[in-house]
Amino acid sequence: MRVHVDVERCTGHARCWSVAPEVYELDDLGYNVTAVKEVPPGLEEQARKGALACPEQAITIED
Amino acid sequence: MRDAGRAPEVDFDVLAHRTLAANDAAWAGLRDCPVAWTPHHGGHWVISGYEAVAEAFRDWETFSSARTDPAVSSITISGARLPLLVPEELDPPEWHPVRRVLAALLSPQAAERLRPRARHWARVGIDRIIGSGRGELVGDLIFPVPAAVTLEWLGFPEADWPVFSHAFHDAAAYPHDTPEYRAAAAAGAAVLGRVTEEVAARVAEPRDDGLTAIACAEVDGTPIAREMAEALVFMTIGGGVDTTSALASAAVLHLHRHPDDRARLLAEPDLWDPATEEFLRVYPPARTHARTVTRDVEFGGCPMRAGDRVLLSEVAAGRDPEAFPDADRFVIDRFPNRHLAFGAGIHRCPGSHLARIVFRELMGELLERIPDYRIVEPEVVEYPNWSMIGGWAALPVAFTPGPRLGP
Ligand code: HEM
Ligand code: SF4
Repeated sequence: MRVHVDVERCTGHARCWSVAPEVYELDDLGYNVTAVKEVPPGLEEQARKGALACPEQAITIED
Repeated sequence: MRDAGRAPEVDFDVLAHRTLAANDAAWAGLRDCPVAWTPHHGGHWVISGYEAVAEAFRDWETFSSARTDPAVSSITISGARLPLLVPEELDPPEWHPVRRVLAALLSPQAAERLRPRARHWARVGIDRIIGSGRGELVGDLIFPVPAAVTLEWLGFPEADWPVFSHAFHDAAAYPHDTPEYRAAAAAGAAVLGRVTEEVAARVAEPRDDGLTAIACAEVDGTPIAREMAEALVFMTIGGGVDTTSALASAAVLHLHRHPDDRARLLAEPDLWDPATEEFLRVYPPARTHARTVTRDVEFGGCPMRAGDRVLLSEVAAGRDPEAFPDADRFVIDRFPNRHLAFGAGIHRCPGSHLARIVFRELMGELLERIPDYRIVEPEVVEYPNWSMIGGWAALPVAFTPGPRLGP
């Protein structure tokens, strides 16, 4: 599984990180800097929840 | 002013519905009309559907936050005369560097460092009332805690804090024809004076506090303009103080009226995360924000023209049944919950991380130490106006007394 974060769309709510801190990484202003990432095995559920939590719908998941 | 080009037209006056129940009902009345025109307040568009509100918040180029009259606030529909709100009433490119200053100071990581102070001030607040078995939760706890955390972090001396509370809380809590409201207006001027003094003092002699970080910030490689720093401090206080308290008031009252939800939070503290989002969705402290249309555009099937005023409703967005199953019900573990209580797009609340932390500490301390509180319903006082910021002026309580913990 892979996550894609549209960093242009991200406005720093940090909801993704709050539910999935092991998947998504924030910069020091609180914006998601993950861009594209292969999700480590076992964290798929977290990754999915993080995407669902984003109010800007900036995260897409590729299975 | 009836205007054939502007349809659908609704008879919606956001300032007319002065109680929470009436205001909620008025928004519910617009449910079939996600975008509409109302003739009230000079005529303006009302955007209440979730997708449309989110899209308008995100499209800052079409829906501008900048003032068109320098004396009049652009983000209220009532044409309030307020000092310029920075960064809220700036558009890019001016918005960006100023926003960065505050975003860095209030990032999730930075806000987390203030958690122990939130816990401390919550403990002090509960200590104030716990021995007596009664109190008035807004004045004793809910208003002072967010104010103390914000003002201590900024670096204002404690003697200032009550003046600031009168300025921000009383202005919202009392009707305009009362002496308390007039005193609040005077306190507002005093706050501006104190902000000016303290910003100047930090420029002269930097310290390790939020005021210094703002007063000595760099914007595009040059020192921040003095008026910009003052305005940013003023907005941080105004944005940070009465909103978090409105959320806590709503939660305290909700948990009194819904003992099942209180019992679940006591038994399963992990529920605080989703519950916080659900309190924000159902009781958003900032209920609406206004914008100005910058170009002729068709939006949500409606013909908007450059210069039109627009009201975006965070509260109606949160109750949109298309976006939230069972939207009128409070569901303590609702997920996902992409409410717009902190806005969306570039102006999205930079204080959201701190707000969640202060709310959590305040509520945790309250439920842990006085789990059996009962609100004295007949003495509850709501804010006199729910058009923009909603909240409570008084929440008297009774409970089983307990021990003070001390400092
Ligand atoms: C539950 C508490 C809070 C709620 C519901 C809330 C709500 C909001 C909303 C909806 C906006 C967007 C306004 C717009 O788009 O015009 C906003 C912006 C803002 N808020 Fe908050 N807020 C809260 C707490 C705070 C706190 C604690 C602070 C500061 C310590 C703060 C400072 C600001 C600032 C400076 C802006 C303007 C940001 C910009 O224009 O880029 N807020 N807030
Ligand atoms: S929740 Fe969305 S907008 Fe917020 S930081 Fe994560 S990706 Fe960005």
